[in-house]
Amino acid sequence: MNRVRTVLGDDPEITFAEKRYTMISGILEECLTKTETGMTFSDKLDKVLLNKYLGIPIFLILVWALFQFSIEASGVFMVIIETALVTVGEFFGTLLAGNEIAASLVQDGIFGGFAFILPFLAPIFLMFLGIAWLEDSGYFARAAFVMDKLLRKLGVHGKTFIPMMLGFGCNIPAIMACRSIEGEKDRMISILSNPYISCGARLPVYVLFAAAFFPGFEGSVIFLMYMLGLAVAIFTAWLLRKTFFKGEPEPFIMELPIYRVPTLRESVLHMWERGVVFLKKAGTWLFLGAIILWFMSAFGPAGYLGTDPDVSVSYTGILGGLIQPIFAPLGFDWRLGAALIFAFLAKEIAVESLGIIFAVEGNVAIGGALAGVFSPATAAAFMIFILLYIPCIAAVGTIKSETNSWKWTLFSIVYSIIIAYVIAAIAFVLLSAIGLGVIGGA
Amino acid sequence: MTVRVALIGNPNVGKSVIFNNLVPGARQHVGNWPGKTVEKKTGKYRYNGEEYDLVDLPGCYSLTARAVDELVSRTYILEEKPDVVVNIVDASNVERNLYLTLLLIELEANIVVALNQMDVAKSKGYTIRTERLSSRLGVPVVETIATQKVGMEKLKKVIETAAKSPKPASMTYPSDIEGLIEKLVTILSADTSLVTHHPARWLAIKIIERDKEVLEMIQGTPLDSKIEEVFA
Repeated sequence: MNRVRTVLGDDPEITFAEKRYTMISGILEECLTKTETGMTFSDKLDKVLLNKYLGIPIFLILVWALFQFSIEASGVFMVIIETALVTVGEFFGTLLAGNEIAASLVQDGIFGGFAFILPFLAPIFLMFLGIAWLEDSGYFARAAFVMDKLLRKLGVHGKTFIPMMLGFGCNIPAIMACRSIEGEKDRMISILSNPYISCGARLPVYVLFAAAFFPGFEGSVIFLMYMLGLAVAIFTAWLLRKTFFKGEPEPFIMELPIYRVPTLRESVLHMWERGVVFLKKAGTWLFLGAIILWFMSAFGPAGYLGTDPDVSVSYTGILGGLIQPIFAPLGFDWRLGAALIFAFLAKEIAVESLGIIFAVEGNVAIGGALAGVFSPATAAAFMIFILLYIPCIAAVGTIKSETNSWKWTLFSIVYSIIIAYVIAAIAFVLLSAIGLGVIGGA
Repeated sequence: MTVRVALIGNPNVGKSVIFNNLVPGARQHVGNWPGKTVEKKTGKYRYNGEEYDLVDLPGCYSLTARAVDELVSRTYILEEKPDVVVNIVDASNVERNLYLTLLLIELEANIVVALNQMDVAKSKGYTIRTERLSSRLGVPVVETIATQKVGMEKLKKVIETAAKSPKPASMTYPSDIEGLIEKLVTILSADTSLVTHHPARWLAIKIIERDKEVLEMIQGTPLDSKIEEVFA
C-alpha cells in the first residue's frame, strides 16, 4: 500500500484537514456572528501573569503564599488532633499501667510514633487544597508556560514542568505523567529529574524541623526547601541534557484554559483524592512501621532495655550508628542516621522514627528535644538530605517501570545520594559560618 | 435496556464537569491539565426510568491512529458502538472544536452536540444560531453552561430522544473527493466482514488520508490491488 499515490498531493491528511476546515468556515458563516468586545478578563489577567518579567516573580510569590497558608491555617487543626490523641493515649496508658512492655509499645510506639505523625496530615491536606485551587483556577497551566522560557534556555522541554508541579503532591503519579511527553529523550529527562521535587510526604519533616529550629519563619523555610527541590530538579534536567541526552527539546505547544473561580466542592474533592493516599498509608504502613520501629528501639541484642533507656544500644541505635560516621561532619548523630535509613520506605517515617526514638528515651516534647541535640545548621542539612536523597521505595519502583532500565534506576539512586550530600554539606558550612552551627543557638 | 452513552470533546471544554453533572456523586476530578482524562471513566444515571451508562473518552482534537488517546476514542466508538455519542463543543472556540464533530460524523456515530461554555462565548461577543447549526450539521445541538448546571435536563432529554430514534448524520465533501470516496466505497463493499464492522465511507476517507491502522487492515486482502488501481 505504500505505493498508493493520491490525487491529494504529498500529504493527503493535511489536504483533507483543510477541506474539513473549509466546510466548517462555510457552516459558521451562517451560524456565528462575532462582535468585537475588546480584551476579556482572562486576557487581561494573562497580560500580567504571563508577563516576560513579572511571570516568574508572580509564580514564586503565589507558591510562597501557598506554603504560608498551609502552615498558618493548619496550626489550629494540628493542636486539635494532638490534644485528642494525647487524651486517648493517657487513657490507654492508665489501662496498661501494670505491664511495662505493653505500656511502652502503646505509649512510645503507637502514640509516640504513629500518633505523632497524624497531626502533620493537616498541613499536607491544606497544601493540597491550595494546589487544587491553583490548578483548578487555570493558573498551573500558565506556570508551565511561564517556566518554559527559562527551561528552554537550559535545553529542557517546557512540558517537563507539568509533572514537576504534580510532584508537589506525590512523585509517583508525577513520574507516570511523564508518559505524556512525546520525545524519548525529553521523557527520560523528565522522569529522572522529577524525584527532587518535594512531595507531600517530605512536608512533615520540614514542619517538625522548621518549627523546632526556625520558629517564626516556618512558611519561608518550607518555601525555600521546595524551591531548592525545584532548582535541583531543573539543574539535573540541564545536566542530563548536556551529557546523556544531547539534543534540542521538541517544540512545546500548550493550550491555556480560561481562568475560572474553582468551586469549593471541586477543590475539596481534589484535595481529598490526593490526600487520601496519605491517610491510607498512615492507616497501614505507618501503623505497622510504628510497631516494628518501637520494637527495634526498645529492644537490643541484650533484650528489653527497660524504662527510659539509652536507645543508642538498641537495634535502631546500632543501625543508625552504622551510617552515622559518614554524616558526622554534618553533625548528624545515630538518631538522624536511623531516621534516614527508615525514611527510604516512606519519607514521613523520618518523623515517625524520631518520634519513637525520643519517646522511648522518655522525651515527650520532641521539638525541644531536637533543639537540645542538634544545631540549626544540622537541622537544615538534614531537611536538605531528606528532600534530595533517594525518593521512597515506591518511587524507585516507578522509576524502574517507567524507564524500563535498572541502569537508569541505579543512576538515579546513586546520583541523588551524592547531590543530597554535597548540597547538605554546603548548607551546613554556610549556616555554620553565620553562627548557626551551635546547638541551642537559633 | 441500558443506554450506552460516550462523552467526547477537545481538552478543556468542560467535559469532566458535564460528566460530574450527569452522574450523581461522580468522583472525578476536574482539572486543567491538557489531556487530564487519560483513562476511561464510567458512571451511571437514571432518566425517565431508563438506565444510562456513561463513558468519558479521552479529550482529543482529532481521531488519528498516531496518538494513543485518539486511537482509544475512535476504537471505542467503532467497536463498542455506543448508542449515543455526546460531543462537547466549546462555544467560545467553535471553529476548532467542530473539526472533531466532522470526524465523528464520518464515523457515523449517533451524535448529540452539547454547545458548552455559552457564557464564555457570550462574553467574547459570539452569537451562535444554534438551530441553524443543528440543521447544517444534521445533529441535535443543546446549549449548556456546565459549570452552572445550565442545560443538563435538556441534554438528558435530547440524549433520550437520540437513543430512541438514531439518525446518524452525513457530510458531503467537495466533488473531487466525493468521486474518490464513492469509488473506494464500491470496492470496499465487496468485503462484507470489513464493512459490517466499519462504516465504508469512513474506511474510504481513511484510505485517502493514508491512515496507518486502516491501511494495515486492507493490506494483503484482495481489495489491496483494486484500491491501488483507483489511485493509479
